[in-house]
Amino acid sequence: MKKPEGRPAPSPRRRDLLKAAGGVLATAAFGAVPLRGYAADPVNIGALYPVTGSMAQIGVGCVAAAKLAVEMVNEAGGIKSLGGAKLNLVLSDVQSDTTVTRTETDRLITSNKLSAIHGCFASALTLIASEVCERAKVPIITGSSSDQLNKGRSFTFTPFARASQFAQAQLQMSKLISEKPKVAVIFENTAFGTATSNGLKEQAPGEGVEIVMFEPYSAGFTDASPLINKVKASGANALFSVSYLNDLILIVRTVKQVGLNIAINGGSGGFVIPDFYKNVGKLAEGLQGVAHWNHDMSDEAQKVNAEYKKRTGEFLFEYAGGLVAQTFMLADALERAASTDPVKVRDALLKLDIASGYAAMAPGGKVKFGEGGKNVYGRPIGVQWQNGDLASVFPKEDARAALIKS
Amino acid sequence: MLETIAQAVINGLLIGGIYALVSIGVTLIFGVVKIVNFAQGEFVMIGMYISFFLATQLGVDPIVSLLVTMPVLFCVGMLVQHFLIRRVLGLNDLPQIFLTFALSLLVLNLALMLLTANYRTVHTWYSDEALHFAGLYVPVAKLAAFVLAMVLSALLWVFLHTTDLGKAMRAASQNRDVAQLMGINPNRVFAVALGIALALAGAAGSLLMPFYPAYPMVGQVFVLMAFVAVVLGTLGNVVGALVASLLMGVAESLGIQFVGADSGLIVVFAMLLLTLAVRPSGLAGGRRR
Repeated sequence: MKKPEGRPAPSPRRRDLLKAAGGVLATAAFGAVPLRGYAADPVNIGALYPVTGSMAQIGVGCVAAAKLAVEMVNEAGGIKSLGGAKLNLVLSDVQSDTTVTRTETDRLITSNKLSAIHGCFASALTLIASEVCERAKVPIITGSSSDQLNKGRSFTFTPFARASQFAQAQLQMSKLISEKPKVAVIFENTAFGTATSNGLKEQAPGEGVEIVMFEPYSAGFTDASPLINKVKASGANALFSVSYLNDLILIVRTVKQVGLNIAINGGSGGFVIPDFYKNVGKLAEGLQGVAHWNHDMSDEAQKVNAEYKKRTGEFLFEYAGGLVAQTFMLADALERAASTDPVKVRDALLKLDIASGYAAMAPGGKVKFGEGGKNVYGRPIGVQWQNGDLASVFPKEDARAALIKS
Repeated sequence: MLETIAQAVINGLLIGGIYALVSIGVTLIFGVVKIVNFAQGEFVMIGMYISFFLATQLGVDPIVSLLVTMPVLFCVGMLVQHFLIRRVLGLNDLPQIFLTFALSLLVLNLALMLLTANYRTVHTWYSDEALHFAGLYVPVAKLAAFVLAMVLSALLWVFLHTTDLGKAMRAASQNRDVAQLMGINPNRVFAVALGIALALAGAAGSLLMPFYPAYPMVGQVFVLMAFVAVVLGTLGNVVGALVASLLMGVAESLGIQFVGADSGLIVVFAMLLLTLAVRPSGLAGGRRR
């Protein structure tokens, strides 16, 4: 068997000697940190986000949040068990493209000594990146919600609610609007739309919600009127739209023009970012959605939000807020692992169990990874656009404002 | 039921008006200059961004900004003809196809780089308003776009049939060599044709802006429909393109209503294939007007 590197393997005896010597040196070093006279080596954390291409809008916000999170950890003294080592963010642009994601993840891992990775916002990209991470044995922590990320993975960690839980939360929210919800589900007809809408369809009977219309459409249409015409004819009193931002803008405007009085739940993704309000304006008021994170849900979240707002002028949106929490989870794992070795960081993540501080900024306020890298306490949060801001309204424990029924 | 059909027809006609502006431009260029302009959608996109920036920076209403986008794109059209298309005329078809295709990709990717992929919308007082009557509704922004699209199409028809330049254009489209023998300067005629076609694309952009978001890829959405309309209405036939666009809008809308919301394009392309099978040269049967 060939070793990948040119250096010959040390003989067993030499290795033992080195180990012993290393141990002695290590003890000496850790026992006398201040005497070393130089800063501890930084801990490299990879961050994979699309800052160009069709998903750039959200990716750019993610990068701003990732930088903020690393600064916060470093200002608080870095990783103390590693001699105050600072986190070093290694950024990579995955260009909203699955092929680029694969090569970039590979490149990032092989050309840097990474302890962990976070990314990539879109589930389609994260699925690819996590495959590469699994093979390279580097832990990846992500806010992406696809349930597929929890299947057959052992280095992938998902601290927030899963896609299947989002569907359930949406259905439960519709019962707050009407005792007998009649829901029209419209969804774009590719993987994202069909997977999400099927979740809604499967869980509706269990939640006692009637689905009166279930209609796929082709994303990027020129006109939403025929579709809304159909929704109107279905007699629904709630509309679930599983759509990309562009379609959703047209749908919301058309509903207004038709004069249809219907509670709209836009789900997550493009619906819960500041840009949505910028595009739709006052029409967004009262619209509901679901998120895995919201900026008003805890004191810590509000503090981070204030700082992010100061830097970017916009509130800290779902995905970006979640990744700040993720960075603190990584810091917590590094602290306990007392090592930059990715496998040891992963082992420490498996034992993570926190209920306070920035790392616990998740709906429910607790994080502990169980089977498939899922947070056993993970749950989504129901949100509503109120006065240009996104307010947490569901479930009761997480609600920070009352749901406005219009 | 009747109400639903009526509403679907209204929706279809309104969006068909926008398809018409794009497809008339494509068919005019093909009729007169004999090249297919694959970049037509990108000029719609440029028109949208001009309107967007005029609206957000100077507060100009997007529909009023038509007075800027049309002349600007008219000039762009003349320049494109003079510096690019003129060079490849008379060669075989391939360089011409690649020229407009390359232009499309260049403009699209420049827009992605300079303007980013973000959606940009303009919100006017009439963006979300609609007229309601007899249980039906007509969105104000789309109605305005439709009416102006029809007015522009009518003006183009009058221009082509009453002015010397217009007649020269029709002559060049019918037989370029004979037209040249009659003393028509083809370069001048071609430049004006390109100018008019791009001005119409610019107008489509301005008219779309109150109700459709601008983004670099937006042209692709409309140009696809425009090409179908152009073939359906017989290549080079302006009235044919107009009628075909309206028909397609209605077919798409009825398809969504009664077949399924992801069937819009299926209905449109089925219609195209059927027409071609029965009348290979399009609805107008090979006549170019």
